[in-house]
Amino acid sequence: MNRNNFFIHLALALVLILVAAFAGQLSRWRKEWRTHMSPVPTTDKKKPATVEEIALSETRNFGRPEVLVKFKTGVSQEAIERLTASRHDRVEDRIENVNGLEAIDDLDNADAATIVNEYQQLPEVEYAEQNYEIELDEVDSPLVPILPHDPQFNDQWALANSGQRGGKQGADISATLAWATTTGSDKVVVAVLDSGVDYTHEDLIQNMWLRPANMAPYQDNELGTIDDEHGFNAIDSASDPMDENGHGTHCAGIIGAEGENNLGIAGVNWKVQIMPLKFMNAGGFGTTKDAIEAINYVIERKKAGVNVRVISASWGSTQRSRALEDVIRKAYENDILFVAAAGNATTNNDRNPHFPSSYNVPNVVSVAALDRHDELAKFSNWGVKSVAIAAPGVDILSTWLGNAYEEKSGTSMATPVVSGVAALILAEHPRMSVDDLKKKLLASTDPIVALKGKTVSGGRINAAKALQN
Amino acid sequence: MAIDKNSAVENARNDLARRLNINAADINQKSVEDDDFPDMALGAAEDGEMSGQMITSGWRIKLEAQGQTYEYRADKNQVRAYKFKGKNHRV
Repeated sequence: MNRNNFFIHLALALVLILVAAFAGQLSRWRKEWRTHMSPVPTTDKKKPATVEEIALSETRNFGRPEVLVKFKTGVSQEAIERLTASRHDRVEDRIENVNGLEAIDDLDNADAATIVNEYQQLPEVEYAEQNYEIELDEVDSPLVPILPHDPQFNDQWALANSGQRGGKQGADISATLAWATTTGSDKVVVAVLDSGVDYTHEDLIQNMWLRPANMAPYQDNELGTIDDEHGFNAIDSASDPMDENGHGTHCAGIIGAEGENNLGIAGVNWKVQIMPLKFMNAGGFGTTKDAIEAINYVIERKKAGVNVRVISASWGSTQRSRALEDVIRKAYENDILFVAAAGNATTNNDRNPHFPSSYNVPNVVSVAALDRHDELAKFSNWGVKSVAIAAPGVDILSTWLGNAYEEKSGTSMATPVVSGVAALILAEHPRMSVDDLKKKLLASTDPIVALKGKTVSGGRINAAKALQN
Repeated sequence: MAIDKNSAVENARNDLARRLNINAADINQKSVEDDDFPDMALGAAEDGEMSGQMITSGWRIKLEAQGQTYEYRADKNQVRAYKFKGKNHRV
């Protein structure tokens, strides 16, 4: 290389160095300009609040300030500011109530973890940590409980168990969450096959089925014409299904006492149509033949266009009847669910069947009873093969004769809880087949330790789960 | 008309006398106790009878005649002979 070439190369090298230095400064200026001018990251993406799921999410940096630094006692504010300025940072805020705690913004916008690590190395610093964003976790089920204002609702532990009267909090059917989805539909008809229903009860009257004006009175080949305006009475084959016992009225209230009417209680359904069928007398007992007559009536009304999809049967005995089984099977063929009490003899239905709940017919759902502690009721029958599901059935408050309310116990009381949940499902899924409806019920339970080996599903019915897709 | 405890015992005694074909005076009242029964047929359903599966409060009546004990069950609505010669009977 000659002398001239050397100076030419030296000049080029100096130019390149100057260009590189200038470019570096430009980059720094641009970076600083962006840091100062760019908007603070927003937090608008937060999800709506729900009752269940506020949680810290330590996932990403919030923006500025990046770090929270606690300086040791004795480090002056001037020293802190000199220290941060020397690192091209700035004190964004002082936390007055914690001496020495500063929110620090890194003007280079470096990674927060790196900045924390750098500050932790300084002898003046007690600790440093990231300024984490607090956000609401997204959840699958943003349901908010719906609480009715019916004055005795607080006594309905089966629907909302807050631990009242020494019960176990949460040992209920999650009705208040279910009601966030639906409170029922007056398009769904549930037949209460029982001692009749006091259809004049003020908490039931709005939810009672009435024969539609355009539907002719019931015709039976042997019984003749029956004016079934309020339902059917199989005992005397007359028109009036008025309850003389109270049992049927109690079951009806569990299924569908009008909700949010400032009276008494709320049913599992606030809105529904209850079709009263009377086959048990004032004593609370009746004959197999009258039960068959009443089921036959339901099937005929279904064929005539009444949307009756559930029969609630809070009764039974240990005597098998092929005729009763056959008519229940006929109900199945007409897409009607048959929910039946497992019985109160404290026996295993797999060994000692109880009918109609033990009939091996696809639409039969046998129901055991639970108490307010999530224990199998001391009286309840069970059966890991023959009893499908369990529901609250001890000290259940519901409607009674003469605008009254009473607490009663039995698988009689657990049965209409399940019938009511079936009606809620149908309110949401009107075309659901009886097979799918039964599957849905059995899949919609909370596992209960006391039911392990006792029922098919091993769980307590959960109305909110039953309404999830 | 609602049945009370005394009339329930009286009904039971008369029924047992008729079934055994003896004088009601020859029947001793062994015990009468308040009790809860498993259903509305008081756990004593007749053949072909269905009953509400609700716990029902009533009275368990035990009567003694001819060296044997007989059980009756009653509530405000009914009196029943429990397993009399193996069968339940509504009085």
